[in-house]
This record gives sequence, structure tokens and C-alpha cells, in this order.
Amino acid sequence: MNLTGMRHYSDDEVVDVVVVGTGAGGAPLTATLAARGLSVVALEAGPNFDPVDYTGDETEAVEINWMSERISGGADPTAFGQNNSGRGVGGSMLHWGAFAPRPGEADIRLKRDSGLGEDWDVDYEELKGYLGQVEHFIGVSGPSDYPWDPGRSYRYPAPRRNASSDMMIRGCQAVGITATDAPAALVTHDHHQEEFGLRHACANCGNCHQGCRNSSKAGTDNTYLPLAVKAGAEIRAESMVHGIELDARGRVSAVVYRKDGVDRRQRCAQLVLSAGGVETPRLLLHTGIANSSGQVGRNFMVHGATQVWGRFDTDMRGHRGYPSSIISEDMMRPNDADFAGGYLIQSLGVMPLTYATTLTRGAGLWGQALVDAMDDYRYMAGVGINGECLPADRNRLELSDELDEFGIPKAVISFTAGPNEKALDKHATERMSAIVEAAGGKDLQVLARTAHTVGTARMGADRERNVVDPDGRSHDVPNLWISDNSTFASSLIANPAITIMAMSLRTADRMLAA
Amino acid sequence: MTSFIPENPVPIEARPTVFCLHALGSSAREFDGIAARLADDVDVVGLDLPGFGDLSAADGVTVDEMVAYVVRRIRSHGATRWMILGHSMGGKIASIVASRVLSGDAPLFGLAGVVLLAGSPPVPEPMDEERREQMLAWTDEGGLDDDAAREFVDANTGSPLPDDELRAALTDLRRTSREAWRAWLQRGSREDWSEQVGTLDVPVLIVSGGADGDLGPENQQRLNGAVYTRPRFLTLDGAGHLLPLERTDEVAEAIRAFWFGEAGRSPVIPTDWSRLVASPRVQPRTRGILARRALADNPRYKPRVLSARHIITLRAVAARVVPQQGVPIDLATRIDGELADGKGDGWRSKELPSDIEAYLIALDALDGLENLADAEQDDVLASLAADDGPGLGSMTQAAANAWFEDVRAALVRTWLAHPATMARIGFDGFANGSSGRDLFGYQLLAAGEREAWEPTLKESK
Repeated sequence: MNLTGMRHYSDDEVVDVVVVGTGAGGAPLTATLAARGLSVVALEAGPNFDPVDYTGDETEAVEINWMSERISGGADPTAFGQNNSGRGVGGSMLHWGAFAPRPGEADIRLKRDSGLGEDWDVDYEELKGYLGQVEHFIGVSGPSDYPWDPGRSYRYPAPRRNASSDMMIRGCQAVGITATDAPAALVTHDHHQEEFGLRHACANCGNCHQGCRNSSKAGTDNTYLPLAVKAGAEIRAESMVHGIELDARGRVSAVVYRKDGVDRRQRCAQLVLSAGGVETPRLLLHTGIANSSGQVGRNFMVHGATQVWGRFDTDMRGHRGYPSSIISEDMMRPNDADFAGGYLIQSLGVMPLTYATTLTRGAGLWGQALVDAMDDYRYMAGVGINGECLPADRNRLELSDELDEFGIPKAVISFTAGPNEKALDKHATERMSAIVEAAGGKDLQVLARTAHTVGTARMGADRERNVVDPDGRSHDVPNLWISDNSTFASSLIANPAITIMAMSLRTADRMLAA
Repeated sequence: MTSFIPENPVPIEARPTVFCLHALGSSAREFDGIAARLADDVDVVGLDLPGFGDLSAADGVTVDEMVAYVVRRIRSHGATRWMILGHSMGGKIASIVASRVLSGDAPLFGLAGVVLLAGSPPVPEPMDEERREQMLAWTDEGGLDDDAAREFVDANTGSPLPDDELRAALTDLRRTSREAWRAWLQRGSREDWSEQVGTLDVPVLIVSGGADGDLGPENQQRLNGAVYTRPRFLTLDGAGHLLPLERTDEVAEAIRAFWFGEAGRSPVIPTDWSRLVASPRVQPRTRGILARRALADNPRYKPRVLSARHIITLRAVAARVVPQQGVPIDLATRIDGELADGKGDGWRSKELPSDIEAYLIALDALDGLENLADAEQDDVLASLAADDGPGLGSMTQAAANAWFEDVRAALVRTWLAHPATMARIGFDGFANGSSGRDLFGYQLLAAGEREAWEPTLKESK
């Protein structure tokens, strides 16, 4: 992003707030606090990219992903790298898919309704207000009539349907499931973004995950961060935080970060960690702070993201168009469920390397079967889910003995699906298979995968069971806040980005009120 | 099961074109002998540079203008599987054109190799200043006269040329435009293009005459050898500077051997797909990525983290995991390069040691795999994916599962990243434009719809 004319702060200056991370958790808060006159420095581990330089080439596009090695354990190890966190000014929103469903009230009241999982210590109406603000400001496109939330409206018409969209609509109609155009955080018309400039209408190029080259897709680099810079915040790229210093009273006094190979110390009055569900708990465990509850790194959750693909008689060529333009919320709470929670269904577009990776990792294909499956790539279309995951003690993030290039122990993340996740996956696989078959798909291929990383520094009033209080403030360190997906008490069914941003605005307001 | 496989695995497009750029004072004609000798295997296209041969100086005589002219000529020719050859002055132009193709900045695709004949390097050409002054003095009053032309030929040949070659060389010298002659001596030869060219990882054949002067074997090693990462050197003993004329047979044979032994050993990308990569629908950066990836693997590749034995074993694994027809992409050496560069995929199973360590252990344990029958090799690999088993070397069975999953993903990704594979599976998503208004994307999104610019696909149903 353009950082021309940005204000700079010296390391010795005690800035009002240091924010670690410039993605969905850090950026809205940075913009809000700076607009209220606070001096804010946002430290970003990755570089500052110019979107015109992104390449759609899947191999090279990993430059916007967090590729520093993570270690994955448990019976269902989750894939990192391209599959999860981002790195660069804009964070994971550089590579995210822009799929922007909203969480419903039931999403944050799972325990109330089912007795399982956890509820959020958050008022839903308040959250909904922030969600609306976020959607309007970043420009979400979606249907004019949203079947599961009458009255909801979006700023621009939904993205265009592609072959897998038509397939999913056809299949859903045949099996009696409601499906419609999905809300997507991209602009379908040319859009002037405050303090950024022109964001072009989506060109249906299909490269959302490789970085949007015409800023149609909302990131923080083309929405909240330009506002933040205008208001006097500094975005300091290529600055990897690896230490947190406390004063004699146990309050954060500075963060230690490495830039250009040199360790530097930025003094601050308040610290916000927005490094995401893996890096935030890793930094806390590494520095040993804010963990009197022993809950840092616990309750790691991933969304079930199983896909069902079918082969069709005509070219589908699902790399064309916005990849996930159809949604169904019918399975939010299925009537015949033998599990808590539910799942969203979406249509799938996919790039070839990503598809092949899922084929070989998720379905175990190799040899001529793998080559044949890739020869069929252009005939394939599929649907996938984003499914509830319950917090569980066995699923957690810990530190390994191995150090990364900054001397921080690498994260070891263990994940094993429990009975609830398995029952949900079975239900979803049956429903998805029915949809794809009804749409004319043959030789169905079920590909197991998971996505997103949430829940490793939980928010809640009970300081014995949670890392931050309902405002997002550490129970232990009064000037330390966390604003990212690690605070989620439950996984939600909705993809996390919009909620992370809404919670970021909420945390900013709580900080200002404190 | 359906598949999209070219009917003829080595179609006619596989025949290469070599664009030849001549020396100072020469013309496209100097390659006539080579063209005749290579007629069965290679299309030799000699290009007159501006101010030489039949071509006026109007297109511009600076290095930059000559490069632009050559790019235009190659583009209008339409070749999609080609080499570029530069003799002396033409060598500098050839290296610059190659660098622009490999960066993606030029609207070209399909460069497979470079041939330098006593080539001028991208850095200032070593040239005795007295000689430079003398050659400039020849044109103080106008073009070169007969005496100057004879003196130039004598000074640049190791042994006398046949009469007809000599006459043609003299004719070319006398018709060289004064403007072009002086531009090279005063400016072009002195320009330093090394920063723009950088280092080029393209197959290259660097030929020099043992009796040449400033552009002889030593300076070729030192100057052009520093530009190219995988040079093949050939010294023609006793030859002077005018190699295409002096040693036509040997030069032609060296080009043929270079094509069949190295530069041409890559999967063929269909013509319409190659033209698409060259078109404005592909962002220059992406075009460059595809251009570099399409280059033939280095037959003399020195493994960087694996051993030569490991490479053989990994090639055997690759052949079973991703069977290829025709000239295969050497997935094993490409993975060795990625391991050496520390390009992992961002995570690994808790069961595994570090990426490199896991490969070393696994490939040691699989040593000799290539000696088994195909079905037996498949049995061995299938056992790595099984729930129960003895493990692999010092690794547990769970680690063997995880390593085999990792290597499968790495192999299939490396295979798919090659533009020939993209064409094979019908993926043209790399051609969706650059950015802003030039991010073209797709207009037709529904099943069965294709846009006019898209390459044709064989219907395989």
C-alpha cells in the first residue's frame, strides 16, 4: 500500500498504542484509535506489497502467506502455509477468499442452545452493529434478498455466478435446499474508497487467494489502513515482534522487534496483539506473560472444510470467476443433526495446484489416478463447508524445542477431530454428495481439509478459564489487549474475517472508554 | 476415465527456430552456411540489424534500439520454441533479449537456449583502444572502403576464408552504414548492461575461437561465463573471430548437439498456448515466471542438498507418483533446488524431522527403487501410505505416511506449475491480465463457455 507522507515515531517515544499485526484484527482498531488522536504504531512482520505486483502464479504467490514453518500434530493435523495465515501489510486479508457470511446470534450462543462448547461474553446486538459498520465500510457485495435474514442488504450486487455456482444452485434446488448468491467482501462496481482511491469492480479473474491485483477485494490495505495512516498512525513493515517488556508494576512498557536484522525496542503505553490465532499465543507463550489461567494456546479450533467434487460432462473450469459465489445457510442447525452446531455450504472454484494438493493430501491420490484426476480438472465442480468445531482440551498450541529464524520456538499445533466434528462431517458429506449428484456430477471425490485458526486466547469474564476479559483486555496485564481470532470462544460457522474486524472496532471503543 | 493427451507427443512445433544476430559489419547472410547445414532439424532465421546488410539504420543503431527491433522481429515471426544466437556484437544483443524474455518484460515466450559465437558480453566489451580508434578512423570520411574491409577481415580470421565467403564478407562491410558502425564502436560496445541482464539460468552454448583476441576463450569464461549460470563452453582451436564463416561445419554441429542434448530437452508447449503467454493477457511478472519454468532442466545439475543417488531414487518416486510421457520435467532436481532454498510449504507433521532430514532418511531407505519392476515400485510406495508398516529407515510408519504425503504434494505441484502441464489440463487462468483496467479476468463464466482468446482444447469426452 501507499505509505507516502506517513508519520513516523521514534523507538524511544512512548507511543499511546503499539499494535502487533495489520490484518483484520489490528487494522480497524489502529484506524479508530488514530482517528481519536492516539499515537499508534502498527508493527507488521511481513513486507509492504504493491498489489499490482502480485502474481496469480500459485507457486510464487506464497509470498503473501505465512510460510515460516509450523509443526502440526494430532490425529488430524491441520495444514498451515498457504492454507492459513498471511504475512505482509494487510495480514491474512491479502490472501483471504472474501467469503463474508455474518455470524448469527445462535452462533455465539452454542452452549445456551446445545449445552456444548462455549458462549461468547458479547452482546449480539452490539456485535451486529459493528458487523454492519464493517460491511458498509469495506464494501460487501451480496444478494438483495437474503433468505436467512430478511431485511439484510448489501452495498453492491452479488458477484457473478460461475459454472460451480450454477451447479450448486441446480443441485440444491433438486434436493430442496435453499441456496443463493453469497455475500463477498469485494466491490462489483468501481468504488471510491476513502483515503485509498479507486477500487475496480471485480473482474472475475479467480485469483483472490493469490492477492487481488485491482483492489476489488477488500483487505485492510485498501480500507482501514489508509484511514489509519491519514489519521497519523505508522505502519512499520518487516518488523517481527519477539519480545514484550514489563515494568515493575507488571505493565507492558515496550515491545522488542527485529527489523533489518537489528533488534529494536518500541516503547508504548498500551499493547494490542493482533497477530492471529497462531502467532498471538506463540508470542505470549514465548514471553510467558498473560497466562496465569494457563489457557494461552488452549482450545485451538479449526473449521471443518470438507469438499465434495463431481465430474461433469461439460467444461466447468472453476478457476474462472469469484471462487465461492453461492451460499446455503440451511444447515446452520439441521433438524436431523446428531451433533451441536452446523455448517455453511458454499460453491467452490479452485486453482489447479491447490486442487491437486487437496487431492493427494485429502484423498490420498497418486500415480496414474492422480494424473487422470488432474486431466479431469476442467470438468470438475464442487461444494464445500465451513463447519462448527467445539473447543477441546486435546487441541492446543504449544512451543517446540526448535527455534525459528528469530529465535522464537516454533509452534506445535495439535488437532484431533472429536465425535461432534466427525458427526457433522458425515452429515455434511452426505448432503454435499446429494447436491453434487443431483446437479449431474459423477465419480464423486470427497476431500478432507480444515481451515482457519481460532480460539487460542479465549475471551470471557471468568479469569480462571479465559485469557482476556469481555472487553478484550488481558486478565493479568492491564495495558495488554488482544484483538484477533484467538479470542473467539467458539469457532462460529461463519468464516472469521468480518467478525474479527467487527470485534476490532469494538475493542477500540472499549480501549477508548477505559 | 478421460484424459487430455496430445495425439502426437512430439508434434511438428517441437522443431526450433534459431534467430541469429550478426557481428559488427556483417549481416544475416553470415548464417547462410549454418542454415543449410541445420536445415533438417532447425529453422535458422538470420536478422539484419539496423544499419547492416539490407536494413537501413532508421530503426535505430543504439543497443537499446537494436534490442527492441529484435524483439519486434521475433514477435512478428511468431516462433514459440526458439533459441537466440549472437555473433560478436550480436552476442550482447542476444543476452539482453534473453534477459527480457526471462523477466517477462518482452512480449515473447518460448526461448529455450542461447548460443554465443565469440559473443560480446553485457559488460563493456574488452577492446584495444588503438584498434577502436583505427576502426573509427576508417569511417571518418564515409563508409568503409575496400582496403579497410580487407584489413578488418584479415585481423579477425585465424586462417584465410574461402573466396566466396571473403567476397560476401567484404560486401557486407562496405555496405555497413557509417552511423551503425560508429554507434557500436563509440557507444554500444562500451555500454554496461550487466545490471539489467543480471544472471541468466538458461541453457547456453558459448563458442570461441582459440586464436581470437579480446573475445577469445579466456574472456568468454570470465565475462559471459559470469552471466550464465549453466554455460557449456566450446573452443575451436585455431579459429579467429568470424566463427560462422571460418568453422561453419563445427558451429552447425555444435548447435545441433546443444539443441538435442540440452536446450530442446523440455516438454513441448502447444503453439497457441505459447502465443497466449506472450500476449498482453499475461502480466509480465507471471510471463517471466512461466518462461523460466519452461526451460529445459540442466543435464549437468549438481544436487544441492540431496546426493546424486538420492536424485536417482527421487526420480524413481516421481515417475510412479506423477507418470509423465515424452521428455519429462525433472521434478527431482527441481525439488532439490526448493529444499536448498528453504522453500517449504509452511508446515510439517509433528512425526517428521526437518524437511531436508526427512528426504535424506526416506531416500536412503528407498535406495535402489529404480531397479524394481514398476509394480514392485508401486507396492513399496503403497506401503508408505499404509496405516501399518515397518516405517522408513529410522522413521516411524506415521512419519513414512507424512513424508509420502509431503513428497506427493511437492511432486504434483512442481509438475502442475510447468506451463506444458497447464496446457495439458486446460488451465489458462494465468492469462487473466495485469492489474487495474488491465486485469481482464473472465467475461464468460458458465459451463461450456469459452472466450475467443482462449486456446483450443481437444474434447476428450
